[in-house]
Amino acid sequence: MHLRRATPLVAAMALIITACTGPAASQPASQGASATENPFADVPNIVCVGEATTYQAWLEGTFEGADQDPIEEPADSTGDLLEAIRDRGVLRISTDADYAPQSFLEPDGTFVGFDVDVGTEIAERLGVEAEFMHIDWDIITAGSWQERWDISVGSMAITTSRKPVFAFTQPYYYTPAVLAVTEESGVTDPAQLPFDLPEGAEVTTRTTDAICAEEIQAGREEFALWMSSESTVDEAIQAEIPLVKIGEPFFAENLSVAIDKAGPAHDALLFEIDRIIGEMHEDGTLTELSEKWFEGADLTQAPIS
Amino acid sequence: MTNLALGERRPAILPAIEAAIRRRRFWFRFQYAAVWGVLIGFLLLVLWLTDNLDIPWIAEWGPFIVGGAWTTILVCVVSMVLATSLAVIGSIARLSRSAIASGVSGLYVSLVRGTPLLVQIYFMYLALPQVGIRLDALHAGILALGFNYGAYMTEIFRAGIQAVPRAQREAAESLGMPERTVMRRVVLPQAVRIVIPAIGNDFVAMIKDSALISAISVGELLWRANAVGNRNFRTLQALLIAAAIYWALTIIFSFFQERLERRMARGDR
Repeated sequence: MHLRRATPLVAAMALIITACTGPAASQPASQGASATENPFADVPNIVCVGEATTYQAWLEGTFEGADQDPIEEPADSTGDLLEAIRDRGVLRISTDADYAPQSFLEPDGTFVGFDVDVGTEIAERLGVEAEFMHIDWDIITAGSWQERWDISVGSMAITTSRKPVFAFTQPYYYTPAVLAVTEESGVTDPAQLPFDLPEGAEVTTRTTDAICAEEIQAGREEFALWMSSESTVDEAIQAEIPLVKIGEPFFAENLSVAIDKAGPAHDALLFEIDRIIGEMHEDGTLTELSEKWFEGADLTQAPIS
Repeated sequence: MTNLALGERRPAILPAIEAAIRRRRFWFRFQYAAVWGVLIGFLLLVLWLTDNLDIPWIAEWGPFIVGGAWTTILVCVVSMVLATSLAVIGSIARLSRSAIASGVSGLYVSLVRGTPLLVQIYFMYLALPQVGIRLDALHAGILALGFNYGAYMTEIFRAGIQAVPRAQREAAESLGMPERTVMRRVVLPQAVRIVIPAIGNDFVAMIKDSALISAISVGELLWRANAVGNRNFRTLQALLIAAAIYWALTIIFSFFQERLERRMARGDR
C-alpha cells in the first residue's frame, strides 16, 4: 500500500482505538476496606443526583439550608405587585412539571400535583385565578424572571445562596432527603457503606433526578446510590425500579414560595402570601393536601432537629 | 434502463417494452419497501426483547406527545418565513455596492453562523429582556430559529443570485430596466428556482433543530416527550416516540419537496 493512502487509514484507526479504550481505562476505581473485612467494599462511592439540586449541593458540602427572613407588613402597598395581580385577576405561577408528585402532567396536558394544588389555593384566597407556566427549573432558580411570571410555587428550598436573589415566605412543607441503593448491592444501612457521606462520596449528576432512577432500571452499573427527596424515591420504588431506601433522612429542606427580588415591588404580596400560608397551615388545608399527594404522609410539620 | 434527468420525458417506445420497464420499476420499489420494513421491524424487535416497548404506556401518553408536533410545525413554518425574508434582504445587501449594506450583512452572517443555535435561543429569551425586549418563550424561539437560519440561507441565496447567468441581467439592463426591477423581475425569480433544493434541505434540518427550543420550555414535541418521560421513568420510550415523529415529519416534507422540484424542473424541457 502506498504510504500516502495508508496514513489517513492508520490515523482513523488510531482515533477509533483511542476512543474505544479511553473511557474503559478511566473507569473510577473505588477500593475501600479490603473485601474480607467489608462485604460491601465494591459498592462504588458514587452517588447520582439531579443537576442543580440541593442534594448535589449537600454532597459537595455547599448546601446551607436557611430560614426565611422576617416578613413585615409594608406601610404602603400602592404600586405593589399585589395590586397589579388583583387588577389583572390572574396570578402567574411558575412550575417545573418534571417532579411528580409535586408537579407533573396528565395525558391531556393539564398540570397536577401538590405544588399545583397549593398554588391554586393561594390564588383563590387572594381572590384571583391561577395560571401555571411550565419553566425549566434552572431558569426559575436563576432569578431575573423579567416579570414573566409572579411567584414560584415549586418546592424551592431556602438556602443561604438563594436568599439574596429571592424573597421567601414561610415554608409550606418540608421534604426529607433520603439515600436509595440498588437492590442487587444488598446494602441495607448507610453504616455498611465503605465510605462516609457526604465527605467520601463522589457526585455524578443527571439532568433530572428521575434519570438516575432510569439508569438503575436499565441496569447501568456506574453508580449504586441515588439521593433525592423521599417522595421522588417512593415514586421510583412504586414504579418497580429495583431500589431500596436506606437509613434515616439525611437532612430536610424548608420549601417555600419564592418571589424574584429583581422584579417589581412585592413586599405587600410577600406579606399576603405568607399570611395565607400561615392560614393554610392552621386550618389544616396543607396537611390535607400533603396526605393526598404524599401517600398519607404529613410533610407540612417542621422536622424536629 | 437509462436514468432520466428530473422532468425529462422518456422517448416513445414500444408498448411491450414500456410494460417491461414498468414491471421492473414496480419490483424494485417493492423490494425497497420490503428492506425498509425488515430493518424497521428488526429495530422494533430489539426494543421489544429488551423490555423497552411498553405498549400500554405508549397508548396512554403517545397522543399527548404527538400533539406537540403541531407546535413544532407552527414554529418551523413561521421561522422559515422569517428566515427567507432575512435571507433575501441579506443576500441582496451582501452583493450590494454599498459598503454599509455589505458590511452589516457580512457581520450578521458571520456572527450568527459562528455561534451555536442553543446560545442564540437562550440569548433571545434571557438576554434581550435586559435591554427591554421581553418575548415569551414561543416568540423568542421562533425569532432565534428564524434569525439563525436566515444567516445560512443568506449565503445560499447569494450563491443562487450569482448563479443566474450574467447575460440575463445585461439583457434586462439593456432594455432600460432600473436596477431594482432587474433584481425583482428577472434575477430573483430565477435565483429562487436554483435554491429551492437547498431551502428544502434547510427546512428539514430546521424541523429537528426546533427541538432545541424545548430548553426554554416551549411546549413542543421534545419538551412534551421529556416532561412525560421524566414523570413516569420512561424517558427512552418517550424520546423514541418523539424521534419517530420527527422522522415522519421530515419524510413527509421531503416528499413534498421532491414533487416541487420535479414540477419546477418541468420548465427545463
